[in-house]
Amino acid sequence: MILLFLTSGLFLGWSLGANDASNVFGAAVGSRMVSFRMAAIIASVFVILGAVLQGSGTSATLGRLGAVNALGGSFTVALAAAITVYLMTKVALPVSTTQAIVGAIIGWNIFTGNPTDGKVLSQILTTWVAGPVLGAAFAIILYILLKRIKKSSRMHLVVFESYIKAGLIVAGAFGAYSLGANNIANVMGVFIPAFNLHDLNLGFITLSSSQQLFLLGGLAIAAGILTYSRRVIETVGSNIMELSSEAAMVTVLSHALVLFIFSSSWLSSVFVKIGLPAIPMVPVSASQVIIGSVIGIGLYKSVRNINFRILGEIAAGWVATPLFSGLLAFLSLFFVKNIFGIEVGSRIIAADPLEPGTTPFPSPDPNLSGILHYLILGLIVTGASAVVFYYLLDRRKRTGFRKSEERFWKYIK
Amino acid sequence: MALFTRTTKNVILKIDEFFDTVDLGLLVFREGIKAYLHRDMDAFERHIQKIESLESTADMLQRSIENEMITHSILPQHRVEVSSLIDQMDEIIDSIKASLNEFGIEMPEIPASLNNSFIGLAEASASAAEELIPAARAYFRAPHTVREKLLKVYYYESETDTISRNTKRIIFQGMKELELAKKAHLRYIMQNIEKISDRAQKAADLLSAMAIKIIM
Repeated sequence: MILLFLTSGLFLGWSLGANDASNVFGAAVGSRMVSFRMAAIIASVFVILGAVLQGSGTSATLGRLGAVNALGGSFTVALAAAITVYLMTKVALPVSTTQAIVGAIIGWNIFTGNPTDGKVLSQILTTWVAGPVLGAAFAIILYILLKRIKKSSRMHLVVFESYIKAGLIVAGAFGAYSLGANNIANVMGVFIPAFNLHDLNLGFITLSSSQQLFLLGGLAIAAGILTYSRRVIETVGSNIMELSSEAAMVTVLSHALVLFIFSSSWLSSVFVKIGLPAIPMVPVSASQVIIGSVIGIGLYKSVRNINFRILGEIAAGWVATPLFSGLLAFLSLFFVKNIFGIEVGSRIIAADPLEPGTTPFPSPDPNLSGILHYLILGLIVTGASAVVFYYLLDRRKRTGFRKSEERFWKYIK
Repeated sequence: MALFTRTTKNVILKIDEFFDTVDLGLLVFREGIKAYLHRDMDAFERHIQKIESLESTADMLQRSIENEMITHSILPQHRVEVSSLIDQMDEIIDSIKASLNEFGIEMPEIPASLNNSFIGLAEASASAAEELIPAARAYFRAPHTVREKLLKVYYYESETDTISRNTKRIIFQGMKELELAKKAHLRYIMQNIEKISDRAQKAADLLSAMAIKIIM
């Protein structure tokens, strides 16, 4: 039953992957520098790494916004956010999962009569503004820098483009890592208190309970990237503004930097050490950051380069997402509680859900750890096999093509 | 991915080799015309054979560059323009071959008094195309300098038109003793020499637009 409840979170992860991969590789694929397949595989691998290795910081912040204290509530909140993201993705709008989950949590707060923490909410809302502004600033600085390097180096265009292509892949991998680290809270944050799993030793790393959940969430995100992200990637990549290859790289890099800044506790502690205020660990809207970066480059070049109609549609999605998600969560919670009779949460506010021993949830089935361990291992093996299979298939295709070319030229000669 | 691989270097080498081939073709054209006008038919035949070989090399390089750019996803954003540029430069060497072959097959009777005019015409037309090559090379390394280099292409193209117009005036208005059929033949031969500079100008227009796109 508990695993069934988890499916809504996995669905949300899948929606996040389908939608937010566009933020990482949309510009690269749109500028035709990286193929969709390569982008999808790199994004999938690194999003999982980011989620598992660095995903805990932002989860705590979401927990403070609204500590969903019943598994039925977690399921419904995640489902409402997932349906919102899915519907927005269906109409090819780069919707923000962060906004969807925040809207759904506030919907839960209203339904259960819990107050919404104004401080945390304002912190989140501030990053919604700061994210795109920082993205634009980074993009402008990096773009000017890159242009100067290009001009002064007198590098051959073919070599320069090769560097850019490599840069796009590295920046995309970094972006996917940061996305996993920053946005996994949206997917699995509300489930963390419900699961107390035994540590999972994979040989090279031991995963804690929350990390196992993050891994499952990361795999769901990867599934979303591989199966459904193509359409949104093409929207972001080519419709907002015609992006040159270097602009594409700068966009991805600035997006990755912003997401990394808002999810790296290490960087935050460095800030504190040098006397600066700590950086809030907040899930940032990756969509807003990438659009901010694109706008930054557009402003630097010329305002005329920007397709404002598409920007308007995206901005409408930003307003509609939390409102729709909050309303859907509220209505769903009503149905789940009154029709199915499932507990969705109460007015009692729990302490920080990440702190061990403070959760009001019942202990999970002792067999659950074993089932999840096998599930995770099975998914990892399947995913790795699929990647290897694809790589070999692609290599075979390329080799065949090269041999055919060589035969042709031999014949001509 | 073509980073640092043999493919990337190969494409760069092939692009440079293609430009060298066109450049060499223009030299051969100049020398070929001079040899014909000086009635040195052995040298002329040698130049025709040379241009045949250069044209064939240019075709192979063109196909090879285009194939490698597609199969190894090199310059995905500029591939169409670069292919068009190479195609238009290949047309220059095609025109050189066609023009020299016309001389060889049709053997136009050029009055000795027009020798300098024909040499001047061939020089100007070939110079227009020659000036295109450094501009095309600059596109890959210093696109900011492309436009200034192209100025010379436009200058020599205009010079070619002027020489051609003046020569045609001399042929049709000043040479009363020349038969009309021979006059028409000379005009036809001159038009084919002019084609080289016309094609250089067309390629220069494309290159200019390409440079703007890459600078912006």
